[in-house]
Amino acid sequence: MLGHLTRETRFLIKDRGALFWLLLAFVLSIVAVTFGIAEVSEQRETIATLIKEDAADRANALEGQEDWGSAAYYAFHLTYAPPSDFAFAAMGQRDSSPWKHRVRMLALEGQIHEADTRNADFGLVGRFDFAFLAASVAPLLLILLLYDLRASERTMRRHDLLVATAGSSRSLWLPRALVRVTALVLLLLIPLWVGAMIEGTAASLALQASGIVVASLLVWWLIVELIGRLDASPSILLTSLIGLWLALAIVVPAVSKAAIEAANPVPDGGEILLLQRETVNDAWDLPAEATMEPFVERHPEYADHSEIGEEGFEWKWYYAFQQVGDQVVEPLATQYREARLARDAQAGLASWLSPTSLVERAFEKLAGTDARSMIAYENQVRAYHGELRAFYYPLMFPEEPFDADALSDLPAYDPQES
Amino acid sequence: MSTVTRIAREEWRLWLRSKVVVVAALIVAVLLAATSVLTVNRIAAEQSQRIEQQVAAEQTFFAQPDRHPHRMVHYGHYAFRPPPPLAVFEPGVDAVTGQSIFLEGHRQNTAMFADTKAAADLGGFASLTPASLYQLLLPLLLIVLGHAIFLRERESGTLAVMLAQGQSGTRLALGKATALLAVIAIFMIPLIGVAAYSISLGESALAAISLVAGYFVYLCVWGAIVLAASILLKQRAVSLGALIFVWLFAALIVPRFAINASSAAIDAPGKIESDLVMLAEQRKLGDGHNAADPAFMQLQAQVLQQYGVETIEELPINWRGVVASFSEAELTELLNSYAEKRMGLEASQSRLFGLFGVVSPTIAISSASRTLAGTDLATHHRFLRESEDLRFGFVQALNEKHVTALDYQVDLNRNNGEEASRAATINASAWRVLDEFRFAPDSASQRMDRAMLSLAILIAWLIAATGVVYIASRKVKL
Repeated sequence: MLGHLTRETRFLIKDRGALFWLLLAFVLSIVAVTFGIAEVSEQRETIATLIKEDAADRANALEGQEDWGSAAYYAFHLTYAPPSDFAFAAMGQRDSSPWKHRVRMLALEGQIHEADTRNADFGLVGRFDFAFLAASVAPLLLILLLYDLRASERTMRRHDLLVATAGSSRSLWLPRALVRVTALVLLLLIPLWVGAMIEGTAASLALQASGIVVASLLVWWLIVELIGRLDASPSILLTSLIGLWLALAIVVPAVSKAAIEAANPVPDGGEILLLQRETVNDAWDLPAEATMEPFVERHPEYADHSEIGEEGFEWKWYYAFQQVGDQVVEPLATQYREARLARDAQAGLASWLSPTSLVERAFEKLAGTDARSMIAYENQVRAYHGELRAFYYPLMFPEEPFDADALSDLPAYDPQES
Repeated sequence: MSTVTRIAREEWRLWLRSKVVVVAALIVAVLLAATSVLTVNRIAAEQSQRIEQQVAAEQTFFAQPDRHPHRMVHYGHYAFRPPPPLAVFEPGVDAVTGQSIFLEGHRQNTAMFADTKAAADLGGFASLTPASLYQLLLPLLLIVLGHAIFLRERESGTLAVMLAQGQSGTRLALGKATALLAVIAIFMIPLIGVAAYSISLGESALAAISLVAGYFVYLCVWGAIVLAASILLKQRAVSLGALIFVWLFAALIVPRFAINASSAAIDAPGKIESDLVMLAEQRKLGDGHNAADPAFMQLQAQVLQQYGVETIEELPINWRGVVASFSEAELTELLNSYAEKRMGLEASQSRLFGLFGVVSPTIAISSASRTLAGTDLATHHRFLRESEDLRFGFVQALNEKHVTALDYQVDLNRNNGEEASRAATINASAWRVLDEFRFAPDSASQRMDRAMLSLAILIAWLIAATGVVYIASRKVKL
């Protein structure tokens, strides 16, 4: 076998066509990884700047405040999801879902859907990241490398002679294809490994990613092998393979996506906002009890402190109706989140029909850039917003005297917490 | 019958006999038809829904009871962007940007709830639109049909016969080109149908026809590239491989590479980042809710002098309203300068992206197509600007009512009990100051102007590719 392999490696080195595709794979992989690392470090830089600016801004906002209510009103708090150490390989949903917010203790539903995403053209076209390369482009390169192994020998009229002299076809075609597939896999993965080392990705993660690439290319190899056995001209073989690639990489995902989205309608986001705004705005005109009752239902511990006086404006009441605004849209917001999760779960099932979708989703999952991770980040923002309320409510409702020093104990956002 | 048409007819005869070609063409045709019908229905539903939502938002605003005018400033309003008629072919950035925006005092919100955020994630290019089929799939079909269109004559030895009969290489190439052109013409039919439908929906004929013409040029570019390869290369498999590479490069790699490159070359800070810088400046402007803020002392002196009185209580107008209106104007100027800066950076990113059309005709057509359809980034930016005008308009009109229609003392007294707060309201008829908002696409000539560069790049591609075909066909020898 070793002899066959070295022979085929020598052949490969002389095959300029094959070398071109392999070199292309290598260059594309370097490009994808380089851009990925650049983008990730830019996002980290952005986060670092934001943390600094946010702290300065909050200190400035809190300075000179005289009551809990104004402090909570004017102080914004940064929340963010830092890119993982593998995000360079798959930017995934980070281009279309927000990964940073600045929230304050007002109704959360009015804040959490703000999308601080990039240039819309970016989200539309998508990035050239490693996941895209491995999922969509690499199979095409593999097809171009392997489709005419047999057929070209047929065209050269050497096929039958080769088969006859080689003894078993296994010692002939298998090493030839194996050498090419191995070369492709290595050239794709080497830049990824270098990138992983630079980024300090866990070895097990890099290994899993490599396993995914190898497995997907093996599947494509099998497909090429099966089609390649047809006794047809190279161009017909290539046409059929391209057609198959098109079906698996574009048509099947698009059809499943359309079907999944039709089957799982998402509540209109506008309605969530509208309802929340209406509730908060109507509260101004309603008697204070209309707000305090549902509030106390959620927070019975403040039942004794829910009396709102006739005269003057009270922050207690203001924050209570912010909270009630969130409470009213809770079912809709939950539905929105659940529908997104359901779509994602079904997309996970549907992706078994398409190796490209499967690879991209697997990469996004490893990189923490899949829909689930983005929703997890949203949940973190919700939890943090809850902490803010838990900090202020016990001070604000029993009307504890304002103490500026107490504000240094404000909960800090921790992206690692879950 | 001239030789050119005879050659073309012969080519068609061969195609119709080839199962691969017929199956491929049928699949593309079915996909095209299905996607067109689905997209037309979806966009039509979205359009009527958005317009209804816009009208409903206006009605609710008008229907609000008597209130303090500043409450209505915070009550706010919505702006919706209905998709333009040609979005049935090219939905463009609409799915990514979100199509509605909440408008309120003191804030510029972003458009929320983009479809892509809630989309089922199946990787790379999971959504099919008629436009993306034309951009990606039809070139591939032309490649499958045409990669051997010329070289098969060489392979089968008929080229020698034809040349010996006195046929020139150019005439032969012209015949093959006619055959390919007929294919392109047939596959233009669905687009022409969709364009005609969009005209019936009120789209300007100029824009629709330019869109059709742009795609025709684009497909001709691919036809010419395919023909050139089949003249220059001597083996089917090599020609097919080379063309697939060109497609891979132009349709998949370069557009995404261009995105990476333009985002790396021009750094456009996100809204949170630029907002933070702005907030620091904003704090210097003073809080419009607090009329005693020292930042308003200069304004106070000026207004007192204008009315020739000593104290704000003596003013015939409501001082709190004056402050609200003044600070809103100041703040808006600041917000707009930051918004313009951000949009300017995004626009230059997109311009840079468009320049990559020189390397890939697919980029050139997709930029031109979004622009002509009115679903490009520039249109989204105009939507943001116009909704900002709407916001500023109604907020200032309400502030004006605050100044003139509400007594200062009554206003100051508003938090002292139910009766006092009821007194500090104005009649709901004042809410009529809200302007009607119907977002409309740019005029066809404006869109043409914007698309000109991309269209010019496409035409340059066509000239270059046909030039290569011409030169190659003149040199055809055995």
